Amino acid sequence: MILPKFEFHEPTTVAEACDLMARHRGKARPLAGGTDLLVNMKKKVLSPGHLVSLGRIPELSRLERSNGTFWVGAGVTVSDIAASDAVAEVVRALGQGARALGTPLIRNLATIGGNIGSARPAADLPPSLLIYGAELVLAGASGERRMPVVEFFKGPGVTAAREDELITAIVIEVPRGYSGAGYLNLGVRKAQDCNIVNAASFLELDEKAERIRTARIALGSVGPTPLRAPKAEKLLVGEKPCERLFELAAEAATRDCTPILDFRGSAEYRRTMVGVLTRRTLDMALAEARSRR
Amino acid sequence: MKQLIRLIVNDRDFELAVEPNTTLVDLLRYHLGLTGTKKGCDLGDCGACTVLMDGKAVNSCLVLAVQANGRTVQTIEGLETAEGLHPLQLAFVEKGAIQCGFCSSGMILSAKELLDRTPHPQESEIRRAISGNLCRCTGYQKIIEAIKDATH
Repeated sequence: MILPKFEFHEPTTVAEACDLMARHRGKARPLAGGTDLLVNMKKKVLSPGHLVSLGRIPELSRLERSNGTFWVGAGVTVSDIAASDAVAEVVRALGQGARALGTPLIRNLATIGGNIGSARPAADLPPSLLIYGAELVLAGASGERRMPVVEFFKGPGVTAAREDELITAIVIEVPRGYSGAGYLNLGVRKAQDCNIVNAASFLELDEKAERIRTARIALGSVGPTPLRAPKAEKLLVGEKPCERLFELAAEAATRDCTPILDFRGSAEYRRTMVGVLTRRTLDMALAEARSRR
Repeated sequence: MKQLIRLIVNDRDFELAVEPNTTLVDLLRYHLGLTGTKKGCDLGDCGACTVLMDGKAVNSCLVLAVQANGRTVQTIEGLETAEGLHPLQLAFVEKGAIQCGFCSSGMILSAKELLDRTPHPQESEIRRAISGNLCRCTGYQKIIEAIKDATH
């Protein structure tokens, strides 16, 4: 397969990259891991005149925890997130999402910024980012702004980023006290597969670790964007966690989504699996929250 | 317009002019004649084009040659030394892990990344490590046995 022709740019700073995106407005695409963009270019779905490679901008590969926040540069690879001890300790569900993505070969190339920026509804990282309340740092020719991840997705492949804007980092507030999270995905195969349904749950318990103070549930592959499940979340807040409660929340989550029917599964199957994955990720979240007592 | 790149392939320095739309797999096969790296799906699905770039196993069909500028690449041709085949190559031959051979170079390089990091992996780690490499002949069992054998 032959890639369409393009001009290749390799900036070494974010400012330079935004400048190039602005100068070639509408004709340029940022190139990170390339695992999505180059495939779409080979299939002639996309043929941008300019590629702005982000691979030589050192500040994009920063991964660090400081002052209660977790900072993940947009260029950090999925395999680095999967292997990070800090991620496993503080934002476990993000690591679980990273290990579920693609294959080892893809994970070594793909970046977190790319997984968000390509805005695929079935992507493995967004549900975990949604439940941790992560924010994106967007840099453009006219400056920098921050935006909650949940507001970034507008539809399949469509985002709130302007044409000159790049995701430079993901910022997560380190979850407090008795809190935990979990991520699960369901596909036909365990590797190299597009998800049929994926889900993440986050629970924070009160100071006695008895009642649920905060509940966040995010669902993937069952709507045009990754979704929060407000009906299910509302049911959980203020309650004591128990089997019956989680069953009710899982049932409510099946009404919080809008799955479609395609060759991977029927809408009815997807809806049923939303219940199963919600239930299981709530169990994971509760187990982690209690283990932090 | 062609761009000048420099990279190290199998311990040898290369300086070449390439079009930006040339992929690393095409650079290796057509410009350098290293046809041990296979081109299967060309879309990052099959893993036949696996090479090690700065020690990490990647699909070389999803890397632009210009992105490999300044990096170190190892292909299947770089595994054999003066003492003979690499232990993984030997194990693949001895355990019958090679049938048509099209997936073998990718399988061996994925396994090499694993063993470089984890010299004595569990079977589950071996299975995960080769989960991006498709084989349509062996049913994978012989390949897993060969990788296990190479760790002894």
